[in-house]
Amino acid sequence: MTDLAIVTEKLTRRFGALTAVDNVDLRVAAGQFFGFLGPNGAGKSTTIKMLTGLLAPTSGLMQLLGLDFSSNTMEVKRQIGVVPEGMGLFERLTGAEYLHFVGRMYGLDHATTLRRTEELLEFMQLADRPKSMIADYSHGMQKKLALAAAVIHGPRILFLDEPFEGVDALAAGALKALLGRMTARGVTIFLTSHVLEIVERLCSHVGIIHQGRLVAQGSIDELRAGIAGEQGCKTTLEQIFLSIVGQSGAERAQIEELSWLT
Amino acid sequence: MADVAQPVGILQQMRLIAGLRWRMLHNNLRRKQNRLDLLGLIIVGLLAGAFVTVLCFALFEGARNFVTSGRPAWLSLFFWGIFLWWQLFPIIVAGFGVSFDFRGLLRFPLSFGAFYMLGLAYGLGDFTGLAAFCWTISIIAGAAAANLALLPAMLLVAVLFVLFNIALERLLGSWMERLLTRRRYREFFFAGFILVMVSLQLLGPLLSRYGNSAEPWLVRALPYTVYFPASLAGKSVGAASAGNYGEFALAAAGIAGYAVFFGALLWLRFTAQYRGEELSETRAPEKAGRNKARRESDADPLGLLSPQVAAVIRKEIRYLLRNGFAALLLLLPPILVFALITQATLFRFSGAKGGISTELFFPGLVAYIILILMAPAYNSFAYESAGVQTYFTAPLQFRNVFLGKNLVQVALVATELALCIAAFCYRVGMPSTPIFAATLAAIVFALIGQLSLANWSSLSFPRKLVFGQVHGQRQSGMAVLVAFGAQIMLFGISSLVLGLGRWTGDRWLPAKAFVLLAAAAVGGYVASLDALTSYAEKNKEKLIEALCR
Repeated sequence: MTDLAIVTEKLTRRFGALTAVDNVDLRVAAGQFFGFLGPNGAGKSTTIKMLTGLLAPTSGLMQLLGLDFSSNTMEVKRQIGVVPEGMGLFERLTGAEYLHFVGRMYGLDHATTLRRTEELLEFMQLADRPKSMIADYSHGMQKKLALAAAVIHGPRILFLDEPFEGVDALAAGALKALLGRMTARGVTIFLTSHVLEIVERLCSHVGIIHQGRLVAQGSIDELRAGIAGEQGCKTTLEQIFLSIVGQSGAERAQIEELSWLT
Repeated sequence: MADVAQPVGILQQMRLIAGLRWRMLHNNLRRKQNRLDLLGLIIVGLLAGAFVTVLCFALFEGARNFVTSGRPAWLSLFFWGIFLWWQLFPIIVAGFGVSFDFRGLLRFPLSFGAFYMLGLAYGLGDFTGLAAFCWTISIIAGAAAANLALLPAMLLVAVLFVLFNIALERLLGSWMERLLTRRRYREFFFAGFILVMVSLQLLGPLLSRYGNSAEPWLVRALPYTVYFPASLAGKSVGAASAGNYGEFALAAAGIAGYAVFFGALLWLRFTAQYRGEELSETRAPEKAGRNKARRESDADPLGLLSPQVAAVIRKEIRYLLRNGFAALLLLLPPILVFALITQATLFRFSGAKGGISTELFFPGLVAYIILILMAPAYNSFAYESAGVQTYFTAPLQFRNVFLGKNLVQVALVATELALCIAAFCYRVGMPSTPIFAATLAAIVFALIGQLSLANWSSLSFPRKLVFGQVHGQRQSGMAVLVAFGAQIMLFGISSLVLGLGRWTGDRWLPAKAFVLLAAAAVGGYVASLDALTSYAEKNKEKLIEALCR
């Protein structure tokens, strides 16, 4: 049986009357490149925040690498890396200073942190602006730095909230290659992205969340078979996604009513 | 094709913006944190209101007295006071004022007229403007109470004077904002600010030394002040009172001229803003690899500490050194202490009749430094922004974050205190050994005693501050109240202990009492760290939301 890296049971988060995440049961195997999809406001970021300790669940269970999150928080956090929504950077440090800070926060020793900082800055092509503060970085550079910070301690699970947003094609190619090599070594990657082509190319499995509920989960081929199996045609992830959470008749009618605009 | 929106009138636009501000306030109050913040602001506002009200009565009485005693031109003194307040106070407290960036409204089809009027309106919307406006009204009321016939003249002069002051204040504020977006200019400004503060403190000693010889120069210069708006305002009232309407009209025209002149300059500034002036601090990218950053040493100088505490300490020091405004707050106390000592040495110390006692001056000085330097600790996450998330995603106990931050804070206060105490002992002399020992123990008590409360306040009432920005920054109202309360309590206890020592005649009693209190404070601090760690976990969502907004 495959080891499960991420397991949630009836994971729920409410904000007052709003249920942002509603009884989500996730199963992500170790070494899987998992894409977590959903329309805006579906609950993707809330789920990632709960899985990374930034948000407490209202109810439900979370197990990461076989450890219960609530009772093994420190041990779990040691083994995960995060690129959170908004990246979570200290903008008035330089890139090297920030990576050094994060490395030490994860308990790496001073010499190891220094060595990995240099290597990561070189890999991310950020080494040529050593004196620039992060605030002066472009959005794409900040994304690359946030990703470098997420991997500096060699995590076994990597949570990435929109990691390729604003990253140029060259850097994105390098990052994808890096992430691919990490999964080959057994690292689990949990990624959200609005760019379905990227998810389709990188991820072996996806979960689709809609209005707080997990409406589909499995390998892309399984989902494809479930949606278009009878028709026997090769559907794209976008078609799968739209068929599951796509516009309802009412939404389409509303759009058609905007005649003054269209 | 899209419809073309009909132009909206200035009044309609201003009404919409007022509605927007009201809606923002109303929606903000849905959160408990913001309601508490508003409560804090109201209490602080009441205190400020009391100050304004007392001065209103004083100005009313003064104005009435000047007019009834046949000296209406002396109202110039009041107008000068208001003028100086209106123009200088916003600069002095620029770091504490809050402002709504009305330039953000430019993405809407806002007419330039509405934009200009809004800019002027905001000049009356802050505490400085409102206070000055109330005082001006009080002067009018006082003069009218003495001589009702003066009311029309006073009203005209007051309107012109207010317009002139708003235009000048907005102009200066606008230029300040533009200049302070550049780090280099900010540093120049801070240096200038420090020099001015020092100069003001040295004014007393200078006057006492050179006052007599400078007096003739001042007397000769005084007549020239008559051409300034504040003097013109007083002169015009005097002329109206004497029935000299030609002189009144001339003086009023002079103030109007100033108002028009600065209004026109403001028009040019706002035109630049309206056209989309770029105020970004972002610099041009560096040339690749031009300067290699200094590589950190392989040996860790903070190796004795846990990696997390060491990382927080490094980060705190770097942030402090890169934040001009915070650095300014650190530099001010020793400079002011130096100025105070210089002033105080003009008086005789220790036992001389009417002189200042080192036994009181020394602990007072120390209390003053702690008071100023501990204030930022009550909102210690202010500059973390989204980075605060790292503290919750990394495998660390939150106590390590507080330990790192508090160690830096204590080191800073200790260093500054050591410098100031050394300066005091060199210039004035040592206080008695019992008082010296008591003060040192009291430092530990006041410092560590405050840290627990400050840490709690930082978690409970976080408020994001923009790094390095002076204007438009405001601490959380509740955090300010907690800081006030804690400092009043701790300094109250300290004063009581010192007083007990004097009352009982036991000179060592305060030292013994403070040692006990300091031990209790240290024990309380250590015990609070675990409680605060749990509290941080419970409060993390509020903290992250407040700082990542």
